[in-house]
This record gives sequence, C-alpha cells and structure tokens, in this order.
Amino acid sequence: MSNMSITRREFLRKLALGVGATAVVPLLQACATPATPTTAPVVATAVPTVPAVVSPTVLKPSASFKLGSILPYTKVYAGLGESITNAMTLYFESVNYTAGGRKIEWVKEDEENDAQISLRKLSKLIDQDKIDMFTGIVSTAVLYAVRDPLNDAKMPTVISNGGGNLLTRKGTKGTAVGRYSPYIFRASFSSYQISSPLGDWVAKNVSKKVAICASNYGFGTESAADFKATFTAAGGTIVGNDILPPLGTTDFAAFLPQIQATNAEAVYSFFSGSDALSYVKQFDQFGLKKTMKIVGAGFMTESDVLPGQGASALDAYTSLHWSTELDNPENKAFMDAYAKKFPGKDVDVFAMQGFDAARVIVEALNKVQGDTSNKDKFLEAIRGVSFNSPRGKFAFDPKTQNVINQIYFRQVKQSGGKYVNAIIGKTDQPILDPENM
Amino acid sequence: MPRKTLLTYAIAIVVLALLILLPFATGSFIIKTVTEVLIFGIFAMSLDLLIGYTGLVSFGHAAFFGIGAYAAGYFALKTSPNILISMPLALLVVIAAALVIGYFSIRASGVYFLMLTLAFSQMVYAIADRWTDVTGGSNGLAGIPRPLVQIGGLQYSFDDATARYFLVLVFFLVSYLVLRQIVNSQFGHALIGIRENETRLRAIGYNTTRFKLAAFVIAGLFAGVAGVLYAGFNRFVSTGELYWTASGQVLIMVIIGGAGTLVGPVLGAALILILQNMVSSATDRWPTILGVIFILFVFAARYGVMGLVRQIFTRISAGEKSSAQK
Amino acid sequence: MLNLTPDFILIQFFNGLAYSLLLFLLAAGLSIIFGMMDVMNLAHGSFYMLGAYTGYSIARATSSFWLALFIAPLIVGLVGFGIERMLLRPLKGRGHLDQVLLTFGLALVVADFVRAVPGWGGEVHAFPPPIELAGSIPFGSGQYPIYRLFAIGVGLLLAAILGLIISRTQIGAIVRAGVADAEMVGGLGINISLVFSIVFAVGAGLAAFGGVMTAPIVSLVPGMDARTLIAALIVVVVGGLGTLRGAFWGSLLIGEVDTFGRALLPDYALFFIYGIMVGVLLLRPTGLFGRKT
Repeated sequence: MSNMSITRREFLRKLALGVGATAVVPLLQACATPATPTTAPVVATAVPTVPAVVSPTVLKPSASFKLGSILPYTKVYAGLGESITNAMTLYFESVNYTAGGRKIEWVKEDEENDAQISLRKLSKLIDQDKIDMFTGIVSTAVLYAVRDPLNDAKMPTVISNGGGNLLTRKGTKGTAVGRYSPYIFRASFSSYQISSPLGDWVAKNVSKKVAICASNYGFGTESAADFKATFTAAGGTIVGNDILPPLGTTDFAAFLPQIQATNAEAVYSFFSGSDALSYVKQFDQFGLKKTMKIVGAGFMTESDVLPGQGASALDAYTSLHWSTELDNPENKAFMDAYAKKFPGKDVDVFAMQGFDAARVIVEALNKVQGDTSNKDKFLEAIRGVSFNSPRGKFAFDPKTQNVINQIYFRQVKQSGGKYVNAIIGKTDQPILDPENM
Repeated sequence: MPRKTLLTYAIAIVVLALLILLPFATGSFIIKTVTEVLIFGIFAMSLDLLIGYTGLVSFGHAAFFGIGAYAAGYFALKTSPNILISMPLALLVVIAAALVIGYFSIRASGVYFLMLTLAFSQMVYAIADRWTDVTGGSNGLAGIPRPLVQIGGLQYSFDDATARYFLVLVFFLVSYLVLRQIVNSQFGHALIGIRENETRLRAIGYNTTRFKLAAFVIAGLFAGVAGVLYAGFNRFVSTGELYWTASGQVLIMVIIGGAGTLVGPVLGAALILILQNMVSSATDRWPTILGVIFILFVFAARYGVMGLVRQIFTRISAGEKSSAQK
Repeated sequence: MLNLTPDFILIQFFNGLAYSLLLFLLAAGLSIIFGMMDVMNLAHGSFYMLGAYTGYSIARATSSFWLALFIAPLIVGLVGFGIERMLLRPLKGRGHLDQVLLTFGLALVVADFVRAVPGWGGEVHAFPPPIELAGSIPFGSGQYPIYRLFAIGVGLLLAAILGLIISRTQIGAIVRAGVADAEMVGGLGINISLVFSIVFAVGAGLAAFGGVMTAPIVSLVPGMDARTLIAALIVVVVGGLGTLRGAFWGSLLIGEVDTFGRALLPDYALFFIYGIMVGVLLLRPTGLFGRKT
C-alpha cells in the first residue's frame, strides 16, 4: 500500500492533506451548524416531542432562554435519563415553556455515561449554543468532570441527579478536595443525605449486627461509609469484611455465600439499576432472605427495578428522599400527570428530581422576571427558590447550594396488587449535606 | 516542477496557514474541537505505526494514552503543573509500561497479540479503577491544573483555549514529522518488512523481536504524549479513557482513515470525533448511524479516507496526463 | 477472613459451572467460526443479547418459557445466516481489520435496535424462569436455585450433543476439515460457502440459546452484549481457535477461575482471568488445544 521511496514532495503533499483535512472539516462544520435540532429521547410509547426551535413570532431571538442539558439516553443509565427528561418536559409544558416572560429553548445532549464525550458536549453547549443555564448529569464521574468547565464558565447549573458528596462541599480532607462552586446547585440529593440517617435508624429499629455489601464504585463505597459512621455511632457493629462486588455484576452467586457466612442479622446493601435487580432476586433465591434482612439506599428498590424484583424485595428497608407512597397533594398531582402523559412508564425518584429541577429553573426565572443579565441576582434567585414539591418542602441550603431533603424510611410492602415502598418513618429534621469536608 | 507537486506545495502552505489562523477566525468551540482532533490525531498516528507499518493489530493501545493522561494529571497535581517537569515524568511511566507490556505481547502474533494487548489494557483499567488515591478511582481524576511552562523565574500559563491550541499544534506537527522520519528510515522499512513477511526478514538476520518491541514502545510513547496533552486540555481523566472501547475507537480511526499512511489516521480521528459529536447531538439514534457508516466504509472505502483521496489524485493526474498528451 | 468450608467451595463450583457452560455456548460458535472462516466476529455478543430479548418477548407473548427457549435461537440463527451471506461473504480474504470494523458497526446497530424496540428499550427487564424451575433446594446452611442446576444440566447436554456431532457425524467431519483447510474442502466438491453460512448461523443460534438460558439469572440489561463478548473471546483464545474441545475446557477453566476469583478476591478477579490467558499464551501460543498454523 505505501510507497517505499517517499520523496520530499510526497511527504509535503501528505502533510498538507492531513493538516488540511483536520482544519477543513471543522470549518465546514462551523459553517453548517445552525441552532442544533433536538429530538425527544427515545421512549417506547407515544411521547410528544419537545418543541425544538423557538417560536419566532413576537420575541426577538435573543430573548429566549437557552437551557442546555446533558442526560444519558444511551448505555446503562438510559432509563434514568429518559425519566428525568420526561418529567422535565411535563413541567415545562405545564408552564408552556415560558418563564419570566421568556421562551425556554431546551437543547438536549446525550451523556452516554462517558466523561470524555460529555465534556465535548458541554463545550458545544457553552461555546457554540451559548446556553444561559445548564442542567442534568446522572453519573457521578461525569459530574466531577463537568464541574470545572461549568465553574470556569460561570454557568448557573442545576444538577438533577449526580449525588457525589464532594460536589457541594468545601475544604479538603486527606487527598479529597471539596468541589463546591457558587454557580452549581443540586436539586437531587447527596449520598450522605440518603445513607447517613439510615445508619442511625437501622441501629435503633432493625438490628445492631449488620454486614456490608456495596457496589464497588464511588457512589457505593461513599454511601456505605456514610452508613457505617452513623450506624456504629449509634451502637451498631459491622460484622465481617465489607463485601464489594464490582459495578455491573449481574451474578452475585460468588458473593452471597460470603454474606451468609457473616451471620449478620441484616445486610446494608447498596445497588441500583440492573445490579439491584439481580442482587435482590438472588438474595432470595439463595435463601439469605430467610435469616437476614436487607437495608439500603432507596435506589435498590425504586420503580425501575421493583416490579422485576417482585416478592423477593418484600420487607426490604430503604431510605430515600421520596416514595410513590408519599401522601401529599403535589405528589398525587405529579404522579397522575406523569401517568397520563407517559402511560406504561413507571414514575420514579429520578423523574421527581427532574420535575423539581425544571421547577427551580422556572421559579428562578420568574423571580428575576426574565432578566438574567445580572448573574449574582440570578444566582440569588435560584438560591432562594422554595416551593412544595412531590418530596415535601423544597429548598436549597444556601451554604452548600445542595437541596435540603426530608428523608423517609420505607419498607417494601404489597399494596393493591403491586409492590410499593411504603413509608414507615422519617427523620425528625430534614437533612442538610455538611458544608465542610 | 510538475504541476501536481506545485499544487500540493501550495495546499500545504495554505493549510498550515489556515491552521495557524484558525483560532483568530473562529470561536472557542471550533478551537477546542480542533485541539481535540489534533490530540487524537497523535494518538491515531502512533497506533498506525503498529498496525499500518509493523502489522501488529493492537486492541489495547488506549492503555498508553490513559497512563500518559493519568500520570500527567497526577504529577501536575502533586508535583508541578510545569509541563517541563510533569510531562517527562509522565512519559517515563508510559515508556516503562510499554516496555513491560510490549515484552510480553510481541511474543504472540495475529489474534493472540490482539487479545494479549486487550488483556493488558484491561488490567491497567482495573488498576486505575481501584487505585483511588492516585487515579480517583471510578470517580476519575479531577481538578487537574492548567499546564504551564516555567523556566527559572519566567512563567507562562496556558490559561486560554487558543494558547492550548497552539501548544497542541506544535506537538502535533513535531510528532508527525518525527513519525514520518521514522517510517521513512531504514528502521521503518524494516518494520514494513516485518509486516509483509517476518520469516524472511528473520532469515536475512534481522532480530525482528527487537524491532517489534522498539515499534511498540515508540507507538506507546506517542500515545502517551497524546494522553499528557489530553489531561491538560480536559483537566479531567476518567477510567473510560482506558477501557477497551477507547482502544476500539482509536483502532477504528486508523482503519477508517487508512492504515499505513500516517496522515490517514489523522483524518480518521477528525472524521470520527466530529461525526460522533454531530450525529450524537442531532439524534438519539446515533449508534445506528455510526454503525451503518462503519459498515459502508468497509464496502465503499476499502483503504479508508486516504484510499479515497488517492483515487481522486490518481484521477486528477490521469486527467493531466491525458490532457498533456493532446 | 473467608470461611473456606466444603459447602462454600461446592456452591462456587456449581456457580462456576453454570457460568462456564454459558461461556461455552458463546465460545463454541465463536471458536469454530474463527478457526474455519478466519472471521473475527465482534458482533457475537449481539446474538447473545438478541436471543435474550427475543426470548423475553416470546415468553411474555405466549407465557411459555420453553417456546422462547426453542424459537428465539431459531430466529437469531436465521438472522446470523443472513448476516453471513450479505455482509461477511463479500469480505472474504480481506483481513481482520475490515472484519473488526464491520462487526463493530454491526454491534452498534444491533444494540441500538434493541434500545429502539418498544417493550425492550433502555430499561432493565427481569425474565422470570418457568414456575417449575423457580424454586430453590436446601443446600448446606442455605439453598441453591433449581434453575441454575437446570442451566448446568442443559449446558452439559448441549456440550455432549455438539461433541458427538463434531466427532461422529459427516457434517462434523466437514466442519473439522473446514477448520483444517477450508479451500481443500471446497476443492472436494462440497459447497463450502453454504457450510460457512450454516456454521455461522449455528454459532449465532447457540449464542442466542445461551442468552435465553441465562436471562432468568442475570436479567436483561443494556450493554450485556459487550461484557460477555470479552469473556467469550478470552475463552476462545485460551482454548484455541477452531476447536470445540478447546472451547469446552477453556470455558471450564475461565468460568471456574473467574467465579472463585470473584468470591475470594473480587478486586483482583480480572487479573486472574487475564493472567491465565497470558500464562496459557506464553506456554502454548496457540491456546490449549489450538493447532499451530
């Protein structure tokens, strides 16, 4: 294929071609790019498409408010991205995509569970699409990746899932550095908020002899650590070594006998998604359910996996900042509207977070009456947003800009022919994420 | 001077000028995109040395990119963001890794070599995923400082996208020229000989194992350079950079660009990165579109983009010849 | 520290056996395809996934796990036949790089197709085993799911059948001859290209069968195609290309090492598998039972 006797001219020609193509292709792209068309996320049943382009009638183009989001629509977290997007669509439609007198133009990008790709998308959103605000992010790794570019760009941001503790903390501890940024708000949760109260509660209400089995990645080990801290402080003992299956394990047969061998009364189990589905089912199949209870963060038995887990999940104790069984008017309205708009889709905590994130954006815009030219004022408006959410009262902790979450303790029960996370308790006070490391 | 050569000289100068003027004519998104293309261009060229010239198809090349990126990030955070310090340190780590992995891998050939390189890169991935203190584990290595150069009291920090673009451009041009020199040298010819018929070269007396190891290490080194630049550009390194899908992606860049041409893989990198971006932004069905494009390439562009370019040039010069004959 | 009781070892052995037999179902097809047609099929995991999802839909539509188990592999086998004829046949003699690009592209398309189908989508789905097999039997201090024992039984049965076909029948002889020297077989007047297509289809069907069999254990997850592909590739390399015996013993080795590795030292389990592969290749560069080319 290649010519052995390469002359200097050949060499320069090839140099030219290579360098030229590298320059020409992106230049072509620059010429060709209009406002990026967006499509609705792929949903199995009929979902109305999100209006992609600003209605040109009355408003000047610069008057529309550009919201950029990065959420997963492909790969393992696709279901979560879809839930969040659905609920955000639901909320925006309820206000007719208008807030503070401006039309909301929403540009969606696929997170693809890939930090490298998400960073590229973020650059496109910020540098090319010139978004006014950013939202989204499911994976914690991607969360930490985008934190710096968002902070550098002074981009007002509302995170709708990624719960890594470090994001809203200040200071340092050992090798870990707090990644608080005055521009970033989180409307979802932090691992600490979910697992820390559980430790204390389990010690007092379930058992003082607990084994740990957590998915071996940041979110899992962080949550387990937060659980252990309060659990042991309340007099509990951790039996055996921590059992840490790799993320993405679908067959826990190798680990379940080890858990059984600890002879613990309960197992703090941190899993979500497909891992949770398999774990809970196999925990039952291998007979551990007969002698041990399962406790864990609510993601383990959320609507995405609970129907599949079925009877195997019965009696599992979990903690979360929401449940389908939460009895307040906002939750009822939200769940009804979601079911009507997305028939056949189970509403879950991720959808709830998306719904709230959308509302935060709209309320903040309303507060400044659409005038986002003064960034500090806009950030202050976001910080001050407060409303009744399906989860209860929604408000940010002004010190960390992380949402304050009332945590509920739930147990899987059968109700009306389905399995649900019934609420059996809650924390005395809503939980704030600590300000410092 | 024949017209064709004059034309290519002209193109070369124009393109170089375009590349230099690019940051002043376009916005930060294009600058960042082209910077990334150049970084992956270096990465792809390094793999081409192995695949296109030596005939060793590696499915684990991302290991060296990733090691370079993590090492650079680590040293920038812990030792010094001065690239005159962090870069050589990072590249030393890369070379050491390449020597070890290469030593074991080149004993095999064909699909066995492929699997060995895959195996080693997966092991590196597993190490990065677990070694949280150094790599940040599954959360990735964040907060890598912007690269800067410091000599004595003088310091220049590459704070701005344009500055980083030129830094990467310089490294790209140097890498290209060095690699071009290598493949044109006697060493390069020996590599091609190994690709064509290793037994024959052995019979003449060449220690092909040493040549292959050298090629492997050089390829790893340049992949490491790309990784180092990437860490400074992105300020974040994730384990995804080490995963086999990253090795697959750069492999596809080489194949689509045209293996064995050095320039081809750069075009492949540009095509893949930009295509992925554009298609993914436009639709959720991007995997289908990308997959179909790959399949079409296999049938319509056997020798990749460079193959197509060659066809066009051959047609032009055939046209010239026939018009000259009139 | 870990309690290495006989119970524990026995349980892990059975777990490993179940995993090994799944790997065998994939590796068998992959190995023969590679050995005979010199085709590197990166879309093999896609057949596994398609089988699982197709079986899931059939089971839901007909409420019969058994129908799913038998029909899904047939459907996927047909798909495989079509792919071989239309996409791989034209690439004859073009080398591995082209196959890598083609099958990689194919894998992308199939994965996206699975995501697009209504009812499949990007969510996680549980695939319940048939009621007859859904229980568990007491075992030591705990219990062991019956379904896994069933999967082991079926896997062993299938391995035995395949072994008999390969060694005792004429078609098996043709396949073995094809691995050794495909051109020669063609020269003998046998329609070698038809044999290729059938072998490819059978490989795809086996992978699909594996998909339906294991779905009740591991559920349906986006990305299941890639994970198992890598494991199967390792088995094929360790066992040797083009040999069913290699696929069998390779799967057993890798399956058991992986299971025990994950049970004893989960952080290093990966190293065990790859370490075995590196070790085997260093000692026997063409795999345990592979022939020297």
